[in-house]
Amino acid sequence: MTTERGEFFSTLGRALERGVGQAHEPEPIRFDDEATVAMRADAVRHEADARGGELLDQLYASAEAGGWVVHRPANAEEALGVVVDIAVGLGAKSLVRSDHDVLGELGVDGPLSEQGIVVTKMASAASSDDGESAPMEAAAESMRDAAVGADLGLTGSDYAVAETGSVVLVAGRGVSRIVSLVPPVHVAVVRKGSVLPGLDELFTMLRRDHGAGDPASYVNVISGPSRSADIEYTLVTGVHGPGEVHLILLD
Amino acid sequence: MRPRTREFRRGAAAAIDDEKIQRSLLGLYEGFHKSRQTAAAGTEDWEALRERARQVKTHTIANLDRYLEMFEARVTEMGGIVRFAADAEAANRYVLDLARSRGVRTVVKSKSMVSEEMGLNEVLAGAGIESVETDLGEYVIQLAGEAPFHIVAPAIHKDRHDVSELFHRELGTERARDIGELGLQTRRQLREKFLIADMGVTGANFMVAETGTLVLVTNEGNGRMSTSMPRIHVALAGMERVVPTLEDMGMFLRLLIRSATGQRISSYVTLVNGLRRETDEDGPEEFHIVIVDNGRSRMLADPELREALNCIRCGACLNACPVYRKVGGHSYGYVYPGPIGAIVTPMLTDLGDAKDLPYASSLCGACREACPVKINIPRMLLTLRRDLAEGSEVSGRRKGSVMERAAFAAWRRLFASNRLLGLGLRMGRLMQAPLVRRGSIGWLPAPLSGWTRHRTLRPLPARSFRDRWNSGLGRGR
Repeated sequence: MTTERGEFFSTLGRALERGVGQAHEPEPIRFDDEATVAMRADAVRHEADARGGELLDQLYASAEAGGWVVHRPANAEEALGVVVDIAVGLGAKSLVRSDHDVLGELGVDGPLSEQGIVVTKMASAASSDDGESAPMEAAAESMRDAAVGADLGLTGSDYAVAETGSVVLVAGRGVSRIVSLVPPVHVAVVRKGSVLPGLDELFTMLRRDHGAGDPASYVNVISGPSRSADIEYTLVTGVHGPGEVHLILLD
Repeated sequence: MRPRTREFRRGAAAAIDDEKIQRSLLGLYEGFHKSRQTAAAGTEDWEALRERARQVKTHTIANLDRYLEMFEARVTEMGGIVRFAADAEAANRYVLDLARSRGVRTVVKSKSMVSEEMGLNEVLAGAGIESVETDLGEYVIQLAGEAPFHIVAPAIHKDRHDVSELFHRELGTERARDIGELGLQTRRQLREKFLIADMGVTGANFMVAETGTLVLVTNEGNGRMSTSMPRIHVALAGMERVVPTLEDMGMFLRLLIRSATGQRISSYVTLVNGLRRETDEDGPEEFHIVIVDNGRSRMLADPELREALNCIRCGACLNACPVYRKVGGHSYGYVYPGPIGAIVTPMLTDLGDAKDLPYASSLCGACREACPVKINIPRMLLTLRRDLAEGSEVSGRRKGSVMERAAFAAWRRLFASNRLLGLGLRMGRLMQAPLVRRGSIGWLPAPLSGWTRHRTLRPLPARSFRDRWNSGLGRGR
């Protein structure tokens, strides 16, 4: 096993030496330390906060251009109304959602249940809420089944990007990989405070997050519906991911 | 994949005569090339981005071993397993052994050009393991038993009727009325596979050395499915896919996506840091990444061809190339077609067999202009042509034919001497007389017949420029 790796790198070393006369590079770059990255991230946060309203306007336009159906309710109550209207409009029978704070604060579960929609929170902590915690494996299995059968997936967003009309979901406790992926419709709620100007700022924030403790295993930058143009350059949506995506912007 | 590069001329001729292929190639220009131009023009500092990306890639490749070791260390810290494979065979062996030892029965595959080099689907199928392509275009060509026609749009040579018939024949589906329905049929067919698959195989658009992050750029969501549903994730990466920092990704994504499809951003950019954490709700329990050489170190070793490793596989040079846009992707006979393929394919396979590829270019430079990392493709095509003619030690290239070298030696002597050139022109004028029909030469005898097979030649004029110059033009009359 080690010999295979060793041979790989000795081939590489030989190949690189042969090129030295042409393109000599002294050393790999030194990566910034966490403190430097944190300073940069603070500056990004500062800028984003200062430009909050403007960024939200820009996000509105770029998300719409990118295929999101964008909603901009005046307050939390209206936002809740939008969520319920979308679900009812689809004739949804079941919905899966992440455990983002914003959804709890909006209080989506009650009003959706009142419409006869079965709501499953895709969070392993959920099972312990009602006292009878199922074994981990079984819980994961049933959550996956819930997502596969759901008509709608509802999430918050960990970041949003004004430049590209993107919602960023960082996997972790309460944030499943598949809520925003497996159901045919995805609804994301974005708070003003999570909007960043552009991709560069996003990667600065993600770099900072990465260095702070155990890095998240999985990050998705989502920019519109699932798309394909593989046949005759003709756009089809929803080949694997959601074909319909909604963005709810909260001031 | 077994290269069929020796059949370039035959394949090219067949593609040129195929109306359907020509129609879809025309679409490339409108569909991708024009969108790319619009996207580039609409990006602030596009030229500065290209230049910086070129510098970053050149620097990274020159330190490739160091950056790969950093990437390996980060992934390992996060519980992933990094494997280095010298060739396709070693990579196949690793994936197959892994699949066998974990009792894998079904593999779902997201797009990976490296897996095409490896012929992984066939290897798995040979061991009784079902391996299903899940990108719509890749799914189509897998069902049809073909190779990708284009890096970004692998099945673009097939129209809706072809695909509908293919699905009907292979899957027993109803004949679809439109492309939307084909999309739905694909969703249904492949959703089932995602639910039962034990292993997801993906490619790698970038590997970030600083953080051990694997970056996947997709539009359909099959990449996300492959990295979320099965219990094992295996990524396959060419060794040149590594970049230094996470904060470079903004730049690389802008360049890659805008150059590939003209989109501002793709539907999904997925960052994978090892395997799922204990606190995660879902995700694979195992993460493996196989980093493949498979001939790339030959390019690395050659100072004149090393730049080809800067390629980020956007496909823009294919869409820009007047030759690719006539002969299509299959003619090139391997995984990588088009201008960059004409360099990479001979280096990954055999230059002698692929000797027609470096000549499949008019050296017009459109590829270089379109390249988001400013790769000087025409220069490297000339390098390969020179190596074919004169031989080269670096990768053991053989010399060109004795006849050809003799012909060029004669040509050089002729043009180096005023007297000989004058004599040659006079002889040429005498000898061409029986071949000229209505002012042009439509046929030449072997070995020159290749020139006139597809085009005519203008005959030498009765009075050449030299004659006119000598008889007064040179003195300003």
